[in-house]
Amino acid sequence: MILVIAEQRDGKLNRASWEAIAAAQALAGELPVKAAIIGGSVAALAAELASAGVAEVLTVEDPALASYTPDAHTIALRAVVESASPTFVLMPHTYQTRDCAPMLAARMGRALITDVTALSGTGKDAAFTRPMFQGKLAAQVKPLGEPPFFITVQIGAFRADAVRKGGNAPVTPVTVSIDAAAVRQKAEPPFQEAKQAVDLGQAERIVAVGRGIKSQEHIAIAEKLAAALGAELAASRPICDNGWLPMERQIGSSGQTVAPKLYLALGISGAIQHLVGMKGSRTIVAINKDAEAPIFEVADYGIVGDLFEIVPALIAELEKN
Amino acid sequence: MTRETLDVDVLIVGGGPAGMSAALRLAQLQKQQGGEPLAVAVLEKSREAAAHMLSGAVLDPSALRDLIPDFEQKGAPLAAPVHSDQVHFLTPRSTIPFPIIPPPLSNHGNFIVSLNALVKWLAQQVEAEGVDVFTGFAAQDVLMDGPRVIGVRTGDRGIGRHGEQKAAFEPGVDVQAKVTIFCDGVRGNLTKELLRRLQLGAGRQPQQFAIGLKELWEVPADRVAAGTVMHTMGYPLRLEEFGGGFVYAMPGGQLSVGFVAGLDYKDPLFDPHMAFNRFKQHPLISRLLDGGTLVRYGAKALPEGGWNTIPQPYMDGGLIAGDAGGFLNSMRLKGIHLAMRTGMLAAETAFEAVRSGDTSAAGLRRYQERLDASPVRAELYPVRNVHQAFGHGLLAGLAFSGVSLLTRGWWPADLRGEAGHDRMRMLPADADRSSHLRPSNETPIDRRLTFDKVTNVHYSGTAHDEDQPSHLLVHTDVCSSICGPEYGHPCTRFCPANVYEIAHESDGTPRLQINASNCVHCKTCDIMDPYGVITWVPPEGGGGPQYNGM
Repeated sequence: MILVIAEQRDGKLNRASWEAIAAAQALAGELPVKAAIIGGSVAALAAELASAGVAEVLTVEDPALASYTPDAHTIALRAVVESASPTFVLMPHTYQTRDCAPMLAARMGRALITDVTALSGTGKDAAFTRPMFQGKLAAQVKPLGEPPFFITVQIGAFRADAVRKGGNAPVTPVTVSIDAAAVRQKAEPPFQEAKQAVDLGQAERIVAVGRGIKSQEHIAIAEKLAAALGAELAASRPICDNGWLPMERQIGSSGQTVAPKLYLALGISGAIQHLVGMKGSRTIVAINKDAEAPIFEVADYGIVGDLFEIVPALIAELEKN
Repeated sequence: MTRETLDVDVLIVGGGPAGMSAALRLAQLQKQQGGEPLAVAVLEKSREAAAHMLSGAVLDPSALRDLIPDFEQKGAPLAAPVHSDQVHFLTPRSTIPFPIIPPPLSNHGNFIVSLNALVKWLAQQVEAEGVDVFTGFAAQDVLMDGPRVIGVRTGDRGIGRHGEQKAAFEPGVDVQAKVTIFCDGVRGNLTKELLRRLQLGAGRQPQQFAIGLKELWEVPADRVAAGTVMHTMGYPLRLEEFGGGFVYAMPGGQLSVGFVAGLDYKDPLFDPHMAFNRFKQHPLISRLLDGGTLVRYGAKALPEGGWNTIPQPYMDGGLIAGDAGGFLNSMRLKGIHLAMRTGMLAAETAFEAVRSGDTSAAGLRRYQERLDASPVRAELYPVRNVHQAFGHGLLAGLAFSGVSLLTRGWWPADLRGEAGHDRMRMLPADADRSSHLRPSNETPIDRRLTFDKVTNVHYSGTAHDEDQPSHLLVHTDVCSSICGPEYGHPCTRFCPANVYEIAHESDGTPRLQINASNCVHCKTCDIMDPYGVITWVPPEGGGGPQYNGM
């Protein structure tokens, strides 16, 4: 059986949890897949996971888990894993996972394979591909020793929408007693550093602007389109170099790499440094005056035209609905 | 602030063929002669050995043979022995092959190599001897005690783009040495500093340079026989411009394709990268590359001036070897074997000096004597005027080369050369000075055979921490005043990596934008800026290109 540990914060599932479920389903072969979710109060999230094509959803609810602390989470997860006795435990390779998975695996004395980008084979004989030396090498690794084997999957390596949904799995609470004395950390209220206002990696839709937007004032029209689409605003390098948008919104080899469901490139030529940051997007739409722009080589839908005519028209259509 | 100090006997700045050969030779001497072990260290700015190594290249194995006689058994990565030489004079659509290969361009007995692979292997030999190679450490300043070189200070790490110290700040280390061997490459930033402070170039001719652009391509394996060496001259250069192209075929369909342009061109609108694209578009070359894949791109300057431009290579506490000293044979187009040999001779001199206790200029003068008695002078002295002859144009250069082959380099007086950036002419009075000056040799880009600079830079693997100060120092404000009308901002054309861009303020005033993280460390800007106001200093150690296979 494969157990997927989903991650949540403040009552919202981290999108990467779905990627971990997709990976688990790919890995499973004949084995059943179960999900686990822990936190202060997770009933709603458990219900969401119950229709994710899993055999069972295990939950742990405890006030000590309302805010993340590595000790409390490790204690709870260990209890869940030990009660479920899976062959593999899958987690998305998030910051939170990176914080507690090593402690969890070490306490249980089990193998941990991190940042997995691909699987080959299924079930107990599967091999896991992971990057080494900052991506210079790709290594195929198999866990040794006794199960459970802990695996974390790289964000974006598996598609969240590849999850075979369905079913209505039973939700089983697991009782764990978390001894307050064993939790050595006290969670402070979370804060965002003033500049880190956006996490493009989590956005499902992105509207990105490039040099074609011509001036800082015109970015407003891209913002309107983003708002109409429920999308995040992003930019190619020249826009951020000019200071028209903050660096966190830069997409490309010296910025963020994203793979949203929808990527709208406005006035972006498609220099290769930008493409490497977004070509994994599910659907790419490009609007550019230059028919020869390289962006059209990766776009699924391209409009050769003036974005200052097309974008208002798009906004108008979207606002109709 | 207090800096850490590291004391060594011999410090080698730069982990290229000169530096690695010096290090290995020191280890060999230590083994041979025993005695008090020498502490030797190599500083190399790239993140891993050989990452910044780029060259054509055709290697004359003579120095390698002297350094490591059993290089073949030790697996030296010599890609292919040269089997055939071709020389072509290109016209815009066609070619006139030379019926006879001029002897300097005949490569029988030489090997096509990847300098990156060769230096990686040399680094392994060096480390096997127990010499410390500190990669990721850039040498920022020379440490001097009056006229004496006492070592080198490495660059601070963890400085943000506005000069502020970041959380990971580490001050640079003062590496103090009895002898420092400067192998910091063509237009090395420390050697440049030494030339200025100690007037080492006094009585010598001005140094001269060229830029070499190179790509590594993969084409069907049977298209060009491994070991084929092609050199071209003529198109796309004008007769007054120095340079030419090359194609070297390695096994497995790997082709090194490149172009060299003298950094002494007169036309301020000339763009070396465009010349490289035109070269690739010529039918002789395009038919070799058609359907192939670009693997890697890079660029580096070359020292072309020859024997009479080599500065005094010794000083109190210091020696200069390799491209940093200008030890390159511009007639044979070879410098790797000279880098290796000068590195070896510098090592021998340093070893003696440390053992004898006299590391002053008087003691280190033995280096010059060794150079003069070695194949270095025997090779470079007879061709000392060749590059200067090319300063009068292709025909004069070829004629002079022919004559000097017959006279074995004798000529009644040494030809004088001038610094290349001084030759750049200003724009003619009636030139269009609108903000979008196009290069005079512009050619359309198709993104299959030819690429724009930004795309090419991606293929150099160059990466730098974005949050650091710019390492291109522009000392005056000519960019927003006189450079536009006088030269049309040539930095936007001669930089092969699109580091320099001119943006415009709302009132139309030009403003220089420096995309420092694109820099491939070629040094062309430091060399060719007509006002001489650009200084290249190393960025934070570890940054730069990743020249695998180059």
